[in-house]
Amino acid sequence: MTLDRRGFLKLAATGTAVAAGSLAAAEAGASTGASAHDAANAFGVLVDTTLCIGCRKCEWGCNQANDLPKRERADFDDKTVLETHRRPDVTAFTVVNRVAAPPEVRQAAFAKIQCMHCVHPACASACIVGALRKQPEGPVTYDAWKCIGCRYCMVACPFQIPAYEYSRALEPRVMKCSFCFDRIVKEGRQPSCIENCPEEALTFGRRDDLRALAHAKIAANPDRYLDHIYGESEVGGTSWMYLAGVDFARADLPPLDNQAPPVLTETIQHGVFKNFVPPVALYGLLGLVMLSHRRRDGETGEEE
Amino acid sequence: MILCRQMPRLALFGLIGLWVLSCAGDAAAAPVKKTGHQQVPELNCRECHDCAQPTAANPCLNACPRLFSAQSTGAHTVAEAPEKMMLDRIADQYQGVNFDHRLHASMSEMSQGCSTCHHFCPPGQIPPCQTCHGGEANPQNLRQPSLKGAYHRQCLNCHREWSHETDCNVCHLPQAKYAKSEDKTDATDIMGQSHPSIRPPDKRVYHTPYQKGEMVTFYHQEHIDLFGLRCVDCHQKENCSYCHDVQKTPATRKSMEEVHGICSGCHESAACSKCHDRVERPAFSHASTGWSVGRFHAKLECRACHPTGKRISKVNRDCSSCHGGWNQENFRHAVTGLQLDETHAAADCADCHIERRFHEKPTCSPCHEDQRDFKKVPPGKYVRVSS
Ligand code: SF4
Ligand code: SF4
Repeated sequence: MTLDRRGFLKLAATGTAVAAGSLAAAEAGASTGASAHDAANAFGVLVDTTLCIGCRKCEWGCNQANDLPKRERADFDDKTVLETHRRPDVTAFTVVNRVAAPPEVRQAAFAKIQCMHCVHPACASACIVGALRKQPEGPVTYDAWKCIGCRYCMVACPFQIPAYEYSRALEPRVMKCSFCFDRIVKEGRQPSCIENCPEEALTFGRRDDLRALAHAKIAANPDRYLDHIYGESEVGGTSWMYLAGVDFARADLPPLDNQAPPVLTETIQHGVFKNFVPPVALYGLLGLVMLSHRRRDGETGEEE
Repeated sequence: MILCRQMPRLALFGLIGLWVLSCAGDAAAAPVKKTGHQQVPELNCRECHDCAQPTAANPCLNACPRLFSAQSTGAHTVAEAPEKMMLDRIADQYQGVNFDHRLHASMSEMSQGCSTCHHFCPPGQIPPCQTCHGGEANPQNLRQPSLKGAYHRQCLNCHREWSHETDCNVCHLPQAKYAKSEDKTDATDIMGQSHPSIRPPDKRVYHTPYQKGEMVTFYHQEHIDLFGLRCVDCHQKENCSYCHDVQKTPATRKSMEEVHGICSGCHESAACSKCHDRVERPAFSHASTGWSVGRFHAKLECRACHPTGKRISKVNRDCSSCHGGWNQENFRHAVTGLQLDETHAAADCADCHIERRFHEKPTCSPCHEDQRDFKKVPPGKYVRVSS
């Protein structure tokens, strides 16, 4: 039996897939981090936009705790910035916006936005070198050392969160909220924005407890809240979840699918790029093919 | 000595006694779930208790449930409330907030009373915020914010509703090191100023869009005096923004149901003419019913005689048509201004009040043959009747 071109390709494909698949399985925990099972126990935050008063103390707390251009506390007392719609950028991991409420709603609403720390983060999924990782404790962290600056994460993020230091000539970084990873995991504290919120509009806790809290709040105040927890299932769930009294889209939380980014393809892709699977698999396979051909040649020679 | 020897046994008895008592207490608490809570109607046990059968020994209380119930604190008056409170826990960052507690307490009478803010009031108590809200949010109960969160939520929930203002400076000025030169209290803001006292009006005449009777005359004071109503019985959830919303929008106007609901809760009549008229109506006078109430009856609340809110028909001037059960033993004669002496107090009512016709002049003749007049020779002594 001779191996035709078609047979070769089939064999090659299977070989690569198996090799990459097994590697990917081992990698899965690391590159996309926690499984859905851990997600329940990981940290999260519930943002109650009906409590937020737009004081910007969270922005100030974030500015103090992170490697950001330092600003005075009094700068954050300026409420005129609430008149324009802002987005997180390389100088601010979180911003508060006034929620454009319909006229019949009498109380102004505000919403803080930042990285949602997705349970299955599309950014980490798109990152081919594993610079973005979902940590088992909940945060999606960024490792500037690994980052090659491809900015796939910025395209992949459904919330358009990662920002890029275009103006920095040397070693520009992707900038986004880290959920104060060191602070919450190593120091056992709460994220800086949360510690600084006077209204405690931001509640830090285990994601499952927060879901229960959110459901209890809705049940106790059906007039105050929409019967929906944003982030409970959007894009497969997010660690930061929101309650609101007005349409979430007004608070920069777009209607999104409940589907997480395809996990298997993503892990294979990571395995492929990260562990040099294609060359190894290819050469291995070619070796196999050569071996089998040589043996067959020998056999036929004897018969002849 | 004897007592000393008896001590261990006494102690044992005491312990057993205590044990029996505590068991009895538990047993009694178990079947009657609402013991001691009856004054709070429609109370859901699970609102405060975590388990199905709370006992005195294990009340399994939830941490600070949100239990809005005006009745639970209705027994307390504004005068009991602490007057001013200086809130200065973060004096390193902000100057203290001089919170006028009594002022807020008086305004809350138009809302849900003390429980507008003190949402957790076990029977007989109004615990201050710090009882449940500490320096840190409770990680065991995410619904229990820290004192900082509790204060801000509580204050701003109302303040932002009518002023739409959430600047920190409205309540606290930053300490010098954080302050900017333009920081100062806003003199036009009503923070820190006393609210002029709200005097209940005697009457109000409402002009309504109802064409067949556009006027509704409402005697406000009369409702307080005659029906013993408290502010919260009608003024429910009326916070500052009810009068003061600086950006009042049509959304704050009351619906047809809301307007009528306040009255129809007691006045069940569906006829519009019950309240609506083309002219201003006079106040209710009992004389218009054909019975002008006298000194004693005028002081009573309506429901003392009309417990069902219904008219009493076929009343005659004979006291016993209502007070049938009175006799010489249970009637305190002094309320009439005449305190009977011992001899007369023992006599039967009908001995002087012939055929118990109390509205007629009493007579002495059944016993005294000298034709005496009870006014001149009283069967006791005249006393002052407190009015
Ligand atoms: S919000 Fe965007 S940046 Fe944050 S974890 Fe999700 S995908 Fe990544
Ligand atoms: S600190 Fe809290 S209340 Fe203030 S803007 Fe941020 S989330 Fe809103």
